[in-house]
Amino acid sequence: MDGDLSPLAGRDAASHLLERATATSVALEGVSKSYGGTAAVRDLTLQAGAGELLVLLGPSGCGKTTALRLVAGLESPSSGIVRIGSDVVNDVDPKDRDVAMVFQSYALYPHLSVARNIEFPLRSRHVPAAERTRLVGDVADSLRLSSLLERKPGQLSGGQRQRVALARAIVRRPKVFLMDEPLSNLDAQLRVDMRAELVELHARLGTTILYVTHDQVEAMTMGERVAVLNDGALQQLDVPAAVHDRPANAFVAGFIGSPPMNILRGRLVGEGDALFVAVPGGRLALGDELARAARRRDLDEVQLGVRPEALRIELGAAAVPVAGLLGTIAATVTLVELVGHEQNVACRLAGSQLVWVRAGAGGAPMRTGEPVVLGVTGPVHLFDPRDGARVEP
Amino acid sequence: MNGAGERWSRRAVREAAVAYLLLMPALVVFGIFVFYPLVKTAYLGFFTSPPAPNLPAHYVGLSQYRSVLGSSELRDDLWRTVQFVLYTVPVGIVLGIGLATLANQRLAGMQFFRTIYSSTVATSTAVASMIFFTLLNPEVGLFTYWLGKQGGNGVLQSPSLALPAVSVVTIWQNIGFTFILMSAALQSVPDDLLEAARVDGASSWYRFRTVTLPLLSPMIFFAATVGVIGGFQAFGQIDILTQGGPGNHTLVLIYDIYRQAFQYDNYGYAAVQSVALFAILLVLTSVQFRYFQRRVFYARSPHEEVR
Ligand SMILES: Nc1ncnc2c1ncn2[C@@H]1O[C@H](COP(=O)(O)OP(=O)(O)OP(=O)(O)O)[C@@H](O)[C@H]1O
Ligand SMILES: [Mg+2]
Repeated sequence: MDGDLSPLAGRDAASHLLERATATSVALEGVSKSYGGTAAVRDLTLQAGAGELLVLLGPSGCGKTTALRLVAGLESPSSGIVRIGSDVVNDVDPKDRDVAMVFQSYALYPHLSVARNIEFPLRSRHVPAAERTRLVGDVADSLRLSSLLERKPGQLSGGQRQRVALARAIVRRPKVFLMDEPLSNLDAQLRVDMRAELVELHARLGTTILYVTHDQVEAMTMGERVAVLNDGALQQLDVPAAVHDRPANAFVAGFIGSPPMNILRGRLVGEGDALFVAVPGGRLALGDELARAARRRDLDEVQLGVRPEALRIELGAAAVPVAGLLGTIAATVTLVELVGHEQNVACRLAGSQLVWVRAGAGGAPMRTGEPVVLGVTGPVHLFDPRDGARVEP
Repeated sequence: MNGAGERWSRRAVREAAVAYLLLMPALVVFGIFVFYPLVKTAYLGFFTSPPAPNLPAHYVGLSQYRSVLGSSELRDDLWRTVQFVLYTVPVGIVLGIGLATLANQRLAGMQFFRTIYSSTVATSTAVASMIFFTLLNPEVGLFTYWLGKQGGNGVLQSPSLALPAVSVVTIWQNIGFTFILMSAALQSVPDDLLEAARVDGASSWYRFRTVTLPLLSPMIFFAATVGVIGGFQAFGQIDILTQGGPGNHTLVLIYDIYRQAFQYDNYGYAAVQSVALFAILLVLTSVQFRYFQRRVFYARSPHEEVR
C-alpha cells in the first residue's frame, strides 16, 4: 500500500519482483491477416481477460504465431482491431506496446552472452545498471541459468536456449507476455517442471499471457481458457473442460484427446419416440434431449462423436448387449498400442472406418484380427455433417 | 604384418607421386610468375643501379637495404600511403553500410537502386579516373565550375587537396564492391533477431548499433583488410590523376616504386622498396587470414542457433 502514498514506491527496485502488475486485457477484434493471397488468420475475435493465461491451440500452420505477431505489432492486420487494454494499438510500434515475446525460434542475440541477452530489454529501456544486474540474477536463478550467464547462445543446448529466451521475456514486467511454444524443445521431465513453474509464475505476477502451443496436454493443463484455431479461424474459446467435454465442432472434437474423439458417419433412424444413430455394424440410442435437438435440426446424416474412453471392448462377436449401454458396434481389432499399462486399440468397422478404444489396465491383451463388439457407454456427441457444428442437446 | 606395412608405404609413395604430378602445373606457373620474381627482386636489392644503362650493376651487399629502409623518403611514402588508406577505407565502409541499409528496405523499385549502387564494380580504375579527371579539370571541369574557381589551380594541382581528391575517386570506385559485401551481410542478419529487439523496446538506431552492427562485424573486418591491402596497391588512379604530384603530395609507396624503377631506372632502389611493401602486405594478409580462421567458426554458430 506504500504505492498509494508515494507514486515512486511502486517502482522501487526491491518491490519489483513482488509487485503484481496491474493486469491488462488483450483483444483481437475481427482481425484478418493474409500474405499475398493466402489467409493466415481469418476474422479472428478473441479476448484474453486482464491477468488471464489464454492458450492458443491448433495444428501446425493454423495461424498461432501470426496471431501473436499481430498482438506484438510485428505484423499489421489486413483488417480488424488489435487492443491492449482499452487502447487500439494497430498503429503503435512494437517497442511501445510494452509486451514481451518468446519467439518460436528463440531469437537469441548470438553475439551477446546469456546475461546480456537477458539484460537486453532492460538496457534498451534504460533501466539503471544496479537494478539490471539484480533482475538478471533473480531470473537466472529461477530458471536455473546462473551458471551459464557468461556463455554465448551458440554454446547452449536447445533447452537451455529456450530458457534464456523465456528469461529475456520475464525479466521485465510488461503488460502482456506472448509465448510462442516456449517449452517445445525441452525434454519431457523439464517440460512438466517448466509448465508448473510458468503457471506458478503467472499466479505470482498476475500478468496476462497469450500462450501458443500445439501440445494439447500443455493447453489443457496450463490454460485458464483455450482458444482452438484451425486454418486461421477460431473454432472454440472456452475453459479446458468444456473444450474437452463439449467440443464446438467436429474439428475440435477430433483434435482434442489422446487418442482424439472418434468421428463416425451415421444415419438417424427413428423408431416411435426413440431416435437411434445407425453406423456400420450397429446402432445406438440417443438420449431424449440430444434426440430432440437432432430432430429440430432436421438431420438425416450425422457425424457421431465418441471418445475412446466412452467405448468398451466386449470380446466375441456374439456378446449379448448389456443394460446400461447406449448400444453396440461390431468391429475387428486392427492395431494395439500399449501406452504404459493401458491399451489403445484401433478397431475397423464394417464400413472400413477406424475407431480408437481406450482399454483400461488389466484387460486381456487384444490380438489383431479378432472380431469384437464395442459397447458404447457414452456420452456421445452429434455434429452436423454440413458444417461440422455441434448439435447442442 | 611386415608385408602390410610395406604395402602401405608403397601406396603412400605412389599417392605422393600422383599428388606432386597433379600439383606440377600450378607449381610451375607459381614458380615462374611469383617465386622467381620475388627472389629476383630481393636479389636486385643487393645491387645499385649503374649511372648509365649499359654499365654493370654494382654489388653493395646490405648497404642499399639499410639506406633505403632507413630513408626519410620511404617514411614519407609510407605516411602518404597510410593517409590514403585512412581516407579511403573508413569512409568507404561507412558509405557502403549506409547505402546497403538504404537498399535493404523492402520498397518497390529497390532493385533499381541496388543496380545503381553496385554499378561501380563494373567500372575500371582507368575509366573512373578519367571521369573524375575531366570533372576536376581546372578549365572545363564541372566540379571546378560549381566551385566557381575556373582557371588557375585545380583540385588535383592543390598540395592540400590532391590526396583527398584521389581518395574520393578511389572511394567512389570501390563503393560498389563494398555495397555488395555489406548488402550480403545485411541480408544474412536474421529477421527474428531484429524483431525480437523491436519487441524488447529497442529504437531503430539502438537495434542497428546492438544487433545489426555486431553481426556485420566479420564482413566489416573483411572489407577493411581488403581495403587496406588494396590501398597499399592503388596505382592506376594516381598515375592518371596526379603522377604523384603536385610536389610529392600524392607520392604513395607503390607509385614511388614505379617511378624509381621505370622513370629513373633505379632498379636496385625500387627493389628494396618493393621488398618493404611485400613485407607489409604479408603481415596484413596473415593477420587477416588468422583472424578469419577464427571468425568463420564464429559466423557459423549463430546460424545454427537461430534457424
Ligand atoms: N511471412 C509469411 N509469408 C507468407 N505466408 C506466411 C508467412 N507467415 C506465415 N505464413 C503462412 O500463414 C499460415 C500461418 O502461419 P503461422 O506461422 O501463424 O502458423 P503456426 O500456427 O504458428 O504454425 P506452427 O505450429 O507450425 O508454428 C501458414 O500457412 C504459413 O504458411
Ligand atoms: Mg508458429
